[in-house]
Formats: sequence, structure tokens, C-alpha cells
Amino acid sequence: MAFGSDLVIDRTRSGEPLPERAELVIIGAGVMGLSIAYNTAKRGLTDVVVLDRGYLAEGASGRNGGGVRQQWSTELNVRLMAESVEMCRRFAKELEFNVWFRQGGYLFLARSAAEVSRLEKNVELQRRCGIPVRMLDAEGARDIVPELSLDGIAGAAYNPSDGILFPWPFLWGYAQQATKLGVKLHTFTPCVGIDVEPGGGFVVHTERGSVRAARVLDACGAWSGEVSCMVGVELPTWPIRHEICSSEPLKPFLRPMVSELSSGLYFSQSMRGEIVGGVSLPNEAPTLSMGSRLKFLAHYSRRLVSLIPRLGNVKVLRQWAGPYDMSPDGNPILGEPPGVPGFFLCCGFVGHGFMMAPVVGKLYAEWLTGGDKHEIFGLHTLDRFHGAGAGDVAKEDFNIG
Amino acid sequence: MKGKIIVCRCEDVTLHDVEHSIELGYADIEEVKRFTGFGTGPCQGKECMALIARIVAERAGVEAASVPAFTSRPPIAPTPLRLFARDPAGDPDDGAGSEER
Amino acid sequence: MHWVAVAASAVPQYGHDFPVLTMVESPVSVRVEGSAYTGEGQRELPPRSRPWYACGALTRRLRADAGRGEPLRILFEDNSVRAFAGESVAVALHAAGRQVLSRSLKYHRPRAFFCLEGHCGGCLMRIDGVPNLRACMEPCTNELSAEGQNAFPSPDLDLLEAVDWMFPHGMNHHTMMTGSKILNLVMRGIVRQLSGLGTLPDSDADELPEVEELTVDVAVVGAGPAGLAAAAAAARAGARTLVVDEHLQPGGSLLADPRHGVAAAQAATTDAREAGAELRSRATAIAFYPEDGGGLLAVATPERLLRVRARRYLYATGGYSVNELFVNNDRPGVFAARAVGRLLVQHGVLAGERVCVVGAGDYAATLTRALSDAGCEVSTVDQRERRIIGVRGRTWVTAVEVDGADGKTSRIDCDAVAVAATPAPATEAPRQHGCKVELSPETGGFACLVDGDGHTSVEDVLACGDVCGYAGPEAAAAAGARVGAVAAREATA
Repeated sequence: MAFGSDLVIDRTRSGEPLPERAELVIIGAGVMGLSIAYNTAKRGLTDVVVLDRGYLAEGASGRNGGGVRQQWSTELNVRLMAESVEMCRRFAKELEFNVWFRQGGYLFLARSAAEVSRLEKNVELQRRCGIPVRMLDAEGARDIVPELSLDGIAGAAYNPSDGILFPWPFLWGYAQQATKLGVKLHTFTPCVGIDVEPGGGFVVHTERGSVRAARVLDACGAWSGEVSCMVGVELPTWPIRHEICSSEPLKPFLRPMVSELSSGLYFSQSMRGEIVGGVSLPNEAPTLSMGSRLKFLAHYSRRLVSLIPRLGNVKVLRQWAGPYDMSPDGNPILGEPPGVPGFFLCCGFVGHGFMMAPVVGKLYAEWLTGGDKHEIFGLHTLDRFHGAGAGDVAKEDFNIG
Repeated sequence: MKGKIIVCRCEDVTLHDVEHSIELGYADIEEVKRFTGFGTGPCQGKECMALIARIVAERAGVEAASVPAFTSRPPIAPTPLRLFARDPAGDPDDGAGSEER
Repeated sequence: MHWVAVAASAVPQYGHDFPVLTMVESPVSVRVEGSAYTGEGQRELPPRSRPWYACGALTRRLRADAGRGEPLRILFEDNSVRAFAGESVAVALHAAGRQVLSRSLKYHRPRAFFCLEGHCGGCLMRIDGVPNLRACMEPCTNELSAEGQNAFPSPDLDLLEAVDWMFPHGMNHHTMMTGSKILNLVMRGIVRQLSGLGTLPDSDADELPEVEELTVDVAVVGAGPAGLAAAAAAARAGARTLVVDEHLQPGGSLLADPRHGVAAAQAATTDAREAGAELRSRATAIAFYPEDGGGLLAVATPERLLRVRARRYLYATGGYSVNELFVNNDRPGVFAARAVGRLLVQHGVLAGERVCVVGAGDYAATLTRALSDAGCEVSTVDQRERRIIGVRGRTWVTAVEVDGADGKTSRIDCDAVAVAATPAPATEAPRQHGCKVELSPETGGFACLVDGDGHTSVEDVLACGDVCGYAGPEAAAAAGARVGAVAAREATA
């Protein structure tokens, strides 16, 4: 199986300079930026440059637990994610890159009658959208995860078609295909300023030179505000640090992603056999710091070992952290901000940006290339926070981790 | 002589894998680590990082001193979860969970 | 054939007794009578002009059991193996002639230990029902059960080794089998089944231990020559001093060095203790957490977690053994030179009978002499005039292929290879603490940057010894004494 290649994906190493101009410059080579780049190129818009200040997978796209679920509390999100799941199933063939997507399901555990009601309400909505989710009692939960301790479990919701993927290859797959279609990827190219041209268009200044762009898309996740400020746009988002860890590699035994509502604990077994998981910590102040704390391992292990006692003797291999890009109503901020036409936002995805990237990338590309403008671009605008249409958008509150 | 030259024992990463990553342009030590998987196994790069960093410097044609080490994260050695479960920092009276829940 | 009596004789530099045979002129058959370490047996020895140290027919052990702990029995894949208290499972298995310990993750290549110091991931085994334990860090206890992992039916013969043969140039898991959606799904299912190393532990954790808090003036990480000297100096200067070491016994690289050995390690340890330092073995510093409890060093022991607060942290973590690049460099029998040294010096066990030492430098030369004195046939490949290009052997090394200066390839038969490359500074702990490091080949890898007094780039943190660049045990001890005093002075000011 030969693997010699004359395809250079990341152009920075070879010293290739930035082009003088591009139709679209995407700032942020995380999963959103790369998905949008790939999809726009697929639809014929190939004069695209994607910039990142660091290496691929440095941001939240490289730090998340790889969960892909359709269990949400708003119909919009359920339907979007159903499409995203379908796209993940096709990803390896379409992008010619393995992403190890495994549909082992998601099991949500409730510890009180109130939590059970909450799950029931969501399950009803999800079932109406055609998701094969069902409510279970404690024993039913143990059928799915035999190692589970049922102590205090009041009920559960399980959707077998939810899944887990390995995030890094998504980036490489999108980058590979986008590059083949003509997109230029430049990593280690921090953006230092953006000039808004009076007649339209932008000049994006980076540490490695400048590029003129007809349109700019800000896909920097938790760092989106830093870039949007360069065109005078302030964002109401804020970063919350979420810690996560992985265990030693074990032979496969855990089928679904498991999540405990009361603590925000979530964990699953990756394609490499590691248990990857996290938990919410109380009273977290906004920060872009990605340092690790003993407090996290203490909370995590307390909850995890209580739920699955067998894991007490399993070893932690590594802990790290990534930012959740929080938005006031749990929904993303998309489209052009008022006053800066041609500048596009794509942030505020809280803890579900990665899983939404396949479908959002496709929808954004359709809109950017003159195709359909999906309803999310009319709903999830920046100005909804400024009174216009505020309250019309259903708040998404089924967030974990 | 035919056969594999293993550069990362834990993850079975070969010299060829590292060279391929660099050819694609994924030549920063953090990119090589993720793309090949070296340093992500039980030893977390103890045996292999310095060796591979030198290879990266040579193949990418840069000064050794300019190649950074990849980020070292806790725990430095694999540690059983049970050791953390009674740590006072994990006290549930701290009020885990947020209003969003 | 004739029988020769085996008599004991003292070999002072190792501080132990060896049964010794003197020169033999014709092939000789030796019967070793039963003893706790040799068992009984017979072996044929060819003529030699150097003394033979007679090994037990069934083991690679040299020394009489006077130097060891209580004899006991462990099980390897249901086979009974003689072992001694105080040694690790990896040492006991090697001494008993056990070879392949398990199979590698992706290609199911045979694996045994490489470094014997807990840093290479080569000796992972399931021990007493717990997966993925480093056999070189687990002490032998009576009736301990050790099993290989990731191998079917056994580590010696694993059917999935076929994967290694099927992909001679390596398997590109990123792009394989993406052509068909169905085949890709099937492939993913198979890969998931083959993933992971060990299986879930046999039992739940019996108890969740309480955490221990410790507050000291100086916390030293590492009890090798630098760490022990630093701890002694710090304690002597009046600082309340803790030194933590991850290994079963303190001494670090002294225990692998024929010029120093067990006696030197014991002397340095005693010195530190008598100066008043508290030494904890099997205590691994796992992280510095700046945001917890005002900043603390977390140390994991088999029983519990320690939260250590100190006014000064001193990293003396030494260096890791590093491999060289040659074909099949992961083959069982290819060891770090320091592993071969540790086997010989600390445990009185031969890595093999025909050892090929690869590399040049002081340590390689010392090891070569010591192995030769111990009765090994030693060959050398200096990596300058002659370079190693690969090893032969399916589940164990049988020979080394060498490229000569003349361009000709030759083969050297051997049953063990000792790779003597400059150890790479063990900077995980200081780096995680925030200390700056720099890559330079002379230092062996990423050396921790320090000033003349051992200060790193982080306030309150010092470092000394091989972690600042390989310099060997004498230099490490000297640096430790100096930097330990500095740390104490600052911590008690």
C-alpha cells in the first residue's frame, strides 16, 4: 500500500506565500472553517483561503470528545443533527478519509423524577422527528451498559443512532479534499487586522502577509470575538473551559456515550479503546485558559467510579481542556452582522459545534454560493440579541459536559 | 534491509509514517504527533519524542532548537482513577451542575 | 565430556557471590546442583580462555540468592516462574528465560521490555487482573499472576501477527478502505474489535483511598544520583525535605552502572535519610497543579494520592533510554544499554549470552567490559565506522546486520542487543510545571534550561542532573549537591 504523495495540504511549511487575493477568506481552520471551505469548493467556489493562527486541531476541534447526538430539546437542532449523522456515515467514502464514526448510541441517565420528565419531554419531540430514541427504566439502562451501578438511577433515554467519532481525521479529511479542489490552507498564520474597504471587500492582514478578500468568514470558535473586533463587531459570546481526559486503551466493552444529567458527566469508549470523558465543574468563570486542574479529575473520578465501579482500577492517561463557545440562548451566531456586509459569523456553538459542522458547512456553502439560504441564517443572527426578533428563537438547553 | 523501523513503540508508528506526515505539510511536532499518533499511547512520548523531534528537524530542514516539545499534560504516568475519587476538590457539596441543566 | 565442580567466589564490585568456573580447554558439561536460584540442570559450555560464571541451566541468573529477597513463585500465563522479593515482574520473567511478553497495538509485533525503567511502554502486561501495568515497575509477590495482552492464543504465537506481514511498509489507517461504504463499515467494526490493549480489570476498586497532604520546604522529584545528593544537601542545610521516586528501589542510574552499583545507591540513599530527608519510593510525581490549593505537586503511590506543597520544587528526573533507528528495532531482545546494565548490576541477571553493544561512549565501554567479565560474549558496533541497519529473528533477536565503512554488510550473531544512545532528558514533569526546555542532540533530547544555580524559567523551580542534559552519574551527584543547597537556602529564607 504505497503512500507517497505529491499533495501538500498545509502550505505554510513549504514557505508558500499567501495569495494576493481570494474570493473568500475563512479565518479559523477548525472543523467549521474546513467544512465550509470543502463544501463551498465542492459547489464550485474554489478561490478560497483558510487561515489558522496555529496547527490543525489546536482549538476546540482537536480537543472534544467526539460525540454526535440527535437528542436535543429543539426541533431545529434535532433535524439538523439527523442530517449531520447521515453525513458522518458517508464521510469516509466522500472525503476518502477514515473518521471512525461508530453509532453506539447515547444513554442519558436521570437521577430524579424531574430529570425523567425532562427526558420524556425531549424524547417525545425527538420521536416526532423520526429519531429512534426511547425511554428506559434503570434495568433497561443496565441492559445497554452491564457495568452500570443502578444506585439512584430513576430512568434513562437511549438513542441507538447517536454516535461517536474521532475528531482529528475530520479536519485532515476536509483539508485533504478541499486542497484537492483548489482551496489553500495556511496554518501558523495569525490574523492581526482586517481593513473594511469602503467600496466593499476586505484586506486581511496576517503575520505572513496580507490577502484581499471579497468576503471573510470568521470561524474561530471561542476566539471569534477577537477577529470580529477587527471589523468593529462585538460578540455576546464567552468562553468556558471544559476539561476532559482519556484513559488507557482497553478492549471494547462500552457501546454508547453515557451522560449523567445531574453532574454533566459524559464518557464513551473511543476507537482506540480509551474511555474519554468529562464533567461540569461548578462556578466556572469565563476564560480561554486551557490548563488542567486536580479538581477536574476529582469530580470526574468521583462521578465515574460511582456510576461504573469497575473503572476505579482503570488509569487516566492524559487530561486536557478545550473552550465551549457559549452563547446567551445556547444557539449559534451566524450570517452577516449589521453594518458589515460580506463578513460572516459562525460561532456560539457551545458544546456541539463539532457535531454540527458537517451540516452547517453544507448549508453555509449553499448560501455562500448563491443557493438556498436555510432558515438558521435568518433565525440565528447577531441582532437577535439586540431586540430584533429576540425571544423568537427557541432556547437550546440540553447541553452536557 | 526490509522491515519496519519503529519510532513510537506504544502506537506502532514507523519512520515512514513520520516522513509521510511531513511530506503532506503536517510538519509541526504537534501535527506530526496527531497525524501519526506518536506520543499518544501509554508512555505519552517519553521514549520517542526526542528522537522524532530530531527527525522532524532534519527532514523539515530546521534548527533543532526551533522544534518545540509537544505539550506535557497531567498525569505524567498512568494513574488509577480511584486515587482521585476522594480528593476534597471533588466534594459534591461544591455544587456540581449549572442552572442550564 | 567431563564434570567440573562449581565453586563460589566473591566478585567485590557487585558485592555478591558468583559461582565461578575457571578456564576450560575442551567442551564441558556442567551440572548445577539444586539451589534456590539456579534450580537444577545441565548445560554444555564450549571452550573459552576467560572465566565462565556458571549460570543455572534454567535461568540467566548469576548471583547466589544471598543478594536477593525471599524466593517466591509467580505465574506467567499459568506457568510457574521462580522469582525473588524486591525484583520486578519483568526482571523475574527475563531471568527465567521467558521471552515475549505481549503484542503491539497495531501490527501485533512481539514485544518485551526495552528500557526496564517504566518509560517505553514495551512491557505492558495484565498483572493480578489489572490491565496495562508496566511489568518493570510491578514488584513480584507470591502467586502473582502475569499475563500477556493483545495476543491470541499466546504472546509467543499470535495469529494476528499476520497483520504485520500483510503490511510490510505499514498500514495507512487514514485512507484504507474508504472506497466502499459497506466495506468501510465492516472494516471499522473489525478495527474496533481489535482496538485497545488490556481488558477491563477483574474487580472493582476495593476502597477509595483518602488523599494525604504534605507541606515541606523542598520537594525533590527523583532519587537517582542527582536527587539523592540534592535531598541530602537540602536536608543538611536545614530544609524540611521530601524526595519522591517512582521506582521500587531508589538509586536511579547508579543501579544500572557497573562503576557504581547497588552499594553506591545504598550509600547515597542512607546519606539522604541520615541528613533528615524523607524518601518515598513507588511515589510518582504526576503533575504540578497551579490552580489547585494555591499550587501543589500531585504524587501518586500504589495506595493513595499525595498533595505536596513546597516552597521549592527540584526536578532531578534524569533521562530516558532512547532507541536507535534500524529495521526491527522493537524486536524483543533489543534492549536499552541501561536495561542490560540494570539487569546485570542491580539484579545479577544476564540480558543474554551473546550481547551486541551498539553505540560508543563511556557507558557503552563500561558495559562492554562488565558483560565480558560476567561471561558474556560481547560484540560491539560503534555507530561510527560500523552502523547497525537491522536485526534478525522472528520473536527474539538472533543476529544484527551491520553496514561497514567499506560499504559491505555483515552479520553478527547475538541474542541480545544493548542500544547505548545518549539518554533523553526526562522533562515531562518540569515542562508540565512550565519550565522551558530546548532540543539539542548533544544533551540527548529536550534539556531543561537552567542557570548556574539550577534555577529553571519558573520561579520556585530548580532542576539538576541528566534532566538538564546528559552528563552521567558523577556530574549529576555534584550538581545535585550544589542545587539542593541553593533550594534549601531559598526555601528557608
